[in-house]
Amino acid sequence: MVQILFQNIGRFIILVLLQVLVLNNIQFLGFVNPYIYILFILSLPVKTNRWLMLLFSFLLGITVDAFSNTLGLHAFACVLIGFFRNLLLKLFASIDENLNFEPGFRTIGIGAYIKYVIVLVLIHHLTLFFMEAFTFAHFGVTLYRALINSLITILLIFGIQLLRGK
Amino acid sequence: MRYSIVALFLVLEAISFAIFVNNDRYPKSVFLSSSNGVVASLQAAANSVGDFLRLFPANKALSAENARLKDRITELENQIALAGLCDTDTSYFVYPDRNYTYIPAKIINSSTNKTRNFITLNRGKRDGIHPDMGVVSPEGVVGIVKTVSEHFSVAIPLLNPMIQINGKIARNNFRGPVSWDGLDYRYVTMNDVPRHVELYKGDSILTSGLTATFPENIPIGIIDNFVENVSGNFHNIKVKLAVDFRKISNVHIVSYKNFDEQVKLENAEN
Repeated sequence: MVQILFQNIGRFIILVLLQVLVLNNIQFLGFVNPYIYILFILSLPVKTNRWLMLLFSFLLGITVDAFSNTLGLHAFACVLIGFFRNLLLKLFASIDENLNFEPGFRTIGIGAYIKYVIVLVLIHHLTLFFMEAFTFAHFGVTLYRALINSLITILLIFGIQLLRGK
Repeated sequence: MRYSIVALFLVLEAISFAIFVNNDRYPKSVFLSSSNGVVASLQAAANSVGDFLRLFPANKALSAENARLKDRITELENQIALAGLCDTDTSYFVYPDRNYTYIPAKIINSSTNKTRNFITLNRGKRDGIHPDMGVVSPEGVVGIVKTVSEHFSVAIPLLNPMIQINGKIARNNFRGPVSWDGLDYRYVTMNDVPRHVELYKGDSILTSGLTATFPENIPIGIIDNFVENVSGNFHNIKVKLAVDFRKISNVHIVSYKNFDEQVKLENAEN
């Protein structure tokens, strides 16, 4: 239990630092900015208290916000996927109620994990980009950016998970 | 239990949305922002990572700029060398004991083919340029500043009938107004020189120094030809301009320190 706690605290710190120190500085093609820090939310153990999951999501989002000067933006998107995470997990995969594991390729199956990541990243990125634009005026452009960045984030998350062998 | 989760979800989303919407109005007052010390120092670290990532394009840009500047140095060295070899008549540029100072400027737009030509210079109010300042090039007189904006000024060159410059014949100091007839960009005319004055083709025409706009003895041109005017009492002198208006690009704007004082005094007398 304590080990899981420290593992997640470590993951929180590493992902936030990776996001704000490296990924937020990559301005490839002017707008490519993948947000892989949400892997923290995606990887919380399945039996995490849902209160805690929402609070952690909020904390993660507000931390990234603090570094991006977008206070509230990431927090909103993170709380959203923090809320829907377990619902989607149950929808895509059959979960053994007695085990406490992290969602991953091995634990819930390749197909289920792919669907799980894609849907959650899309929810997060679409929310983020449209809220950041705060208008539907340039709908096409915003949608295009959200989708391109979602694709990159999804591929990066798959890559990280494959390298970790989970 | 289930409803309390939804309630927490809604509360957190409401908080996020509220601070997001209000963030624009109170960017600095909110305690979780970049002005916060911890965040700021971490962000400085983040910037250094960004700086590192931007080093490559920055290096390329710098080396390109270096090459340009080296070219420029060579070009300027050549110009200095040429100026040093030339005759010393161009020394009017720096006369510390006079009240004139020279502000270098570049011609960024000009015409020679109209009846009223204008020159745009890359200096303006910011550089201390005022209307009625003279414009000269190393070869000679160019024109007079007419209007000035913050960064630019428009000068009327000699190739514009709107201005008249007071010139004198170098040999005997007889003076007369020099103006353009609007025909050929290489020639101007000097009038009102009495018939009894002896003229020689090739004599220099210089500024008279009787106006506050130009210092004395700046070349205007040389006498190309002269005829008696209709009344027969004065010469009409055709002067070949010292400056080739199709070629000039670097000029100096003449700033006369006591211009205002002199003009004010003269106007008071009138």
